[in-house]
Amino acid sequence: MNDFRSLRRPMGRRTVLQGGASLALATAFAGSSRIAEAAGGKVIIGAFADGGLTPFKEKIIPLAKTQGFDIQFLEDEYGVTLEKWYADAKNAAGQYDLYLLDDPWVPQFGAADLLEDLGAGGIDAGDSDWIKSLIDMGWWPPQTGPRVAGFESAKPKLICVPFVGDLQTLTYRNDVYTKGAPATWDELLEMGKAGVAAGKIKYPIVFRGVSGNPIVTSWYPIFLSYGGEFFDDKWKVAFNSAAGKAAADFFVGPLKQNAPPGVVEFDSDQEGAAILGGDAGAIIQYSGNALKADDPAQSKVVGKLDFGVVPKKEKAIAQIGIFIAGVPKSAPNKANAIAFLKWYCGAATQAKLAEAGSIPVKRTAFQVPKPGNRLIPVALKQLDSGALPRPRTPDWAKVEELLGIELNKALQAGSGGGAALDVAAQKVTEYLTQMGYYK
Amino acid sequence: MTANLAAVTAFRRRAMATSLARFAVTSLLLLVVLLPIYWMVAASFKSNPEITQDATLYPHAPSFDNYRHLFSEREFGAFLTNSLGVTAASVFLALVAGSLGAYAIARFRLPFRLERMVGLSLLTLRIVPPVVILIPVYLLMLSLNLLNTWLGLILTYTALNITFCVWMMESFFREIPVDLEEAAMVDGDSRLTAFRRITLPLAAPGLAATAIFAVIVTFNEFLFALVLTATPAAMTMPRGTATLIGRIDTDWASMSAAGVVGALPIVIFALLVQRHLVRGLTMGAVK
Amino acid sequence: MRSARRARLQGAGFDLALPYLLLAPSVLIVLAILIYPLWDGLRASTQFWRYGKPLNDIGLDNYIALWSDPQFINSLWVTVRFVGLSVAIETVLGLALALFCLREFRGIRLLRTVLIVPMVITPVVVAIVFRLIYASDAGMLTAFSETLGGTPVQILGEPLRAFLALVALDVWEWTPLMFLILLAGLQSLPSEPFEAARVDGAGPWRTFVDHTLPMLKPVLAIAIVLRAIDAFGTFDQVFVLTRGGPGEATRLISIYGYDTAFKFQQTGFAAAMFVTMGLIMLALALAAVRLLRRAGPT
Repeated sequence: MNDFRSLRRPMGRRTVLQGGASLALATAFAGSSRIAEAAGGKVIIGAFADGGLTPFKEKIIPLAKTQGFDIQFLEDEYGVTLEKWYADAKNAAGQYDLYLLDDPWVPQFGAADLLEDLGAGGIDAGDSDWIKSLIDMGWWPPQTGPRVAGFESAKPKLICVPFVGDLQTLTYRNDVYTKGAPATWDELLEMGKAGVAAGKIKYPIVFRGVSGNPIVTSWYPIFLSYGGEFFDDKWKVAFNSAAGKAAADFFVGPLKQNAPPGVVEFDSDQEGAAILGGDAGAIIQYSGNALKADDPAQSKVVGKLDFGVVPKKEKAIAQIGIFIAGVPKSAPNKANAIAFLKWYCGAATQAKLAEAGSIPVKRTAFQVPKPGNRLIPVALKQLDSGALPRPRTPDWAKVEELLGIELNKALQAGSGGGAALDVAAQKVTEYLTQMGYYK
Repeated sequence: MTANLAAVTAFRRRAMATSLARFAVTSLLLLVVLLPIYWMVAASFKSNPEITQDATLYPHAPSFDNYRHLFSEREFGAFLTNSLGVTAASVFLALVAGSLGAYAIARFRLPFRLERMVGLSLLTLRIVPPVVILIPVYLLMLSLNLLNTWLGLILTYTALNITFCVWMMESFFREIPVDLEEAAMVDGDSRLTAFRRITLPLAAPGLAATAIFAVIVTFNEFLFALVLTATPAAMTMPRGTATLIGRIDTDWASMSAAGVVGALPIVIFALLVQRHLVRGLTMGAVK
Repeated sequence: MRSARRARLQGAGFDLALPYLLLAPSVLIVLAILIYPLWDGLRASTQFWRYGKPLNDIGLDNYIALWSDPQFINSLWVTVRFVGLSVAIETVLGLALALFCLREFRGIRLLRTVLIVPMVITPVVVAIVFRLIYASDAGMLTAFSETLGGTPVQILGEPLRAFLALVALDVWEWTPLMFLILLAGLQSLPSEPFEAARVDGAGPWRTFVDHTLPMLKPVLAIAIVLRAIDAFGTFDQVFVLTRGGPGEATRLISIYGYDTAFKFQQTGFAAAMFVTMGLIMLALALAAVRLLRRAGPT
């Protein structure tokens, strides 16, 4: 492993003062030193612990080192990172050069104007090799779609670039779904039940039921496939439409009945254990756990898991949730960070990323002859067939929370999905009104 | 004669029953306290698959891998150093400032009973849960650019510790009769010299108890560390341990080892200073 | 001559200034780090914050909005239930333990030493210990259940069970503290009343109710108040154990405040929440002190 121990000595009081003085001096000569460092140098990356970054950590960071980039990779727990990075950027504390954000956080950082304009920094967003739906998420305000109050006429700036593609796909047991990925929800449940009867699996499906982000993420592809729309283009709540309610009722009813009994508690770990341990027939998940399917140390059903497009009701749409990289305005090694991003987003590096097993963000990289994971071609298929990000608003965290609470209650009860949506809709509307969305 | 024998036997039987009951209760209590701790220690020697998939009752192939991982890849050495340094500094500062202030409150009578007001305000701050001033302190450190620094943590912890250091030391000082100091002053000592030569040594047990209490509270502090620190440059042990509590891809093995490493220093410390610890904890209540 | 007089006056001046000088360091640090931020927080609580900046002054609107926020009310209610249940159990168990340990017996030293451990272990680690017990996939309860041929045990996913699990954690962690305080209290009681009662032929239960309890009341009261106040601010353990979930079952007010401030970025609203929480605590503490004074030692 990289030996950065010497670089990360703890700071004593005197060291802080001395460090502060030398930092002041160094900043005075910032101009000249920046040019010298532009070809490589230190980059401090902040990331949250997620299996989706393992290929990057293991294969790309060493590669970056050969290019002269000195990467310091600071990992923290997901639940803590948003607060920490936001505080770091707002405080201009300069602890990080690069954040590997979860894409719903982009509006929050964008609205507070904390990130560098990467387009002006030299990253070409017009490159046709970008997967359109992914690069679109890096703009604030978003180029298409409704805009949050106060940003209606602002000129969109590219403040983030996609870092590792990730989206939901279907993972299924090929000994249960022998004709390939189940095309519809009904097929998924029917053939799943047959699989249970045959003793091959215990439950047709597994998902995350914990209140908040997990349950809303689990429900989202079902909601989208039923034709649901979250907000209309005036930010009015639309998820409690007939389609939405049907999706919710299906979710807390038939879907729950065919899932493990503790699903209300499940988060990534438990749903992963269910599919990898052989108990579940199918799961819609991000690549993090999917990447473990072929690893005999982590999966008890190696060879029996295949990937496909999510099932449909009217459409088959998955949720996109990518790692997206932004550079805070207070980054201590800003030029290095941007140089690193340019190198990283280049087709060559992206191809290497695909070979290492992560979903890349440039189209040509998807077409490498030997992708590191069977998931990658399927991911491209899903992206092209239909994949949507979450609504681009800085208040998404609260909205997701409010919805998650109601959905979780309904899931526990095993019924009342539609009613839960109505309650959530009312709360979300109240909250958004308070925040000045409807003028 | 027979009556006596019967009485003695009955007494002996009751005594045996009592000690049997005592033994049972004691064993049960020891089990309740130690079993959870055993489980975490055992888990720290297992590997992740063994914990999640095999669910063994004891480590089948114990290894120190998790601990090695913590110190070489997870910066726990830095967390430990930060914790020790920050705790030592803030407890020391709080004791010094707090003892001086407590002495003033215990011995002097200021206009408008000012000293009593100060004492009461500090006590009030002690009562209010620290979470109440979490955001304001965060905003303060933010404006002073002291986020993620030792200095920021030390200032915060010193302030928090002073609130109860003053309160505790005040009652310890009051226990020491004023006559002793006055005798020394009559003999020519100044107030401060009397304080140093007479009062302090007598208050030493109280100082010890207060210090121990402060060390434990400061070392274990999490909330402010969570908000005020971000990188191994300043993260304390509890804060560092929290990086492993994720619900995605929970690294149970590392988490357990982190728990052991996080708890060990303070448990050893507490066991070494048991007597003073007990005194400090109970003194507030039994007056 | 004049210099001697001056020296005496200076000496007198120093003596007058001494208490202020002694108090200065404490007062200054506390003013700077605690009082000033508190004032800042009060100001923030009267503003509407958006995107990390105060936008406008809205007076007491945040405070009013607080009481119509169902999540705040819920978290208040959860906290009250948590504190009430935990402290009650801790007091009863602590008292029982103290009575049990009143007289020396074999193993009491070991017991007392071991009992210290739960309350000094970092609360974050205590939560880790209990997560390792409760986890439905990797936990001790599941391991025991599966060894005996059963199914995985679900605790943290079911709201009521998660709540009780949290209470159990708190009881495990803090009963020793109550035990120590009450033991010290019991040991400090004068023995004459008990001698007299025994001579009068009173049984153990009678002695307890008529003599022990009343004399122990002040210590009991202080212990309960102190513990309750600390319990209200419980954060670390919940943060690590359940993060407030499932749903809102264990969302104590400290967790909700933290989320409001840092996850939803509603800085002003969260500040109002914490100030309210502090005022509630103060009110409770004052009420407790008033009760104590009125009860008094008999």
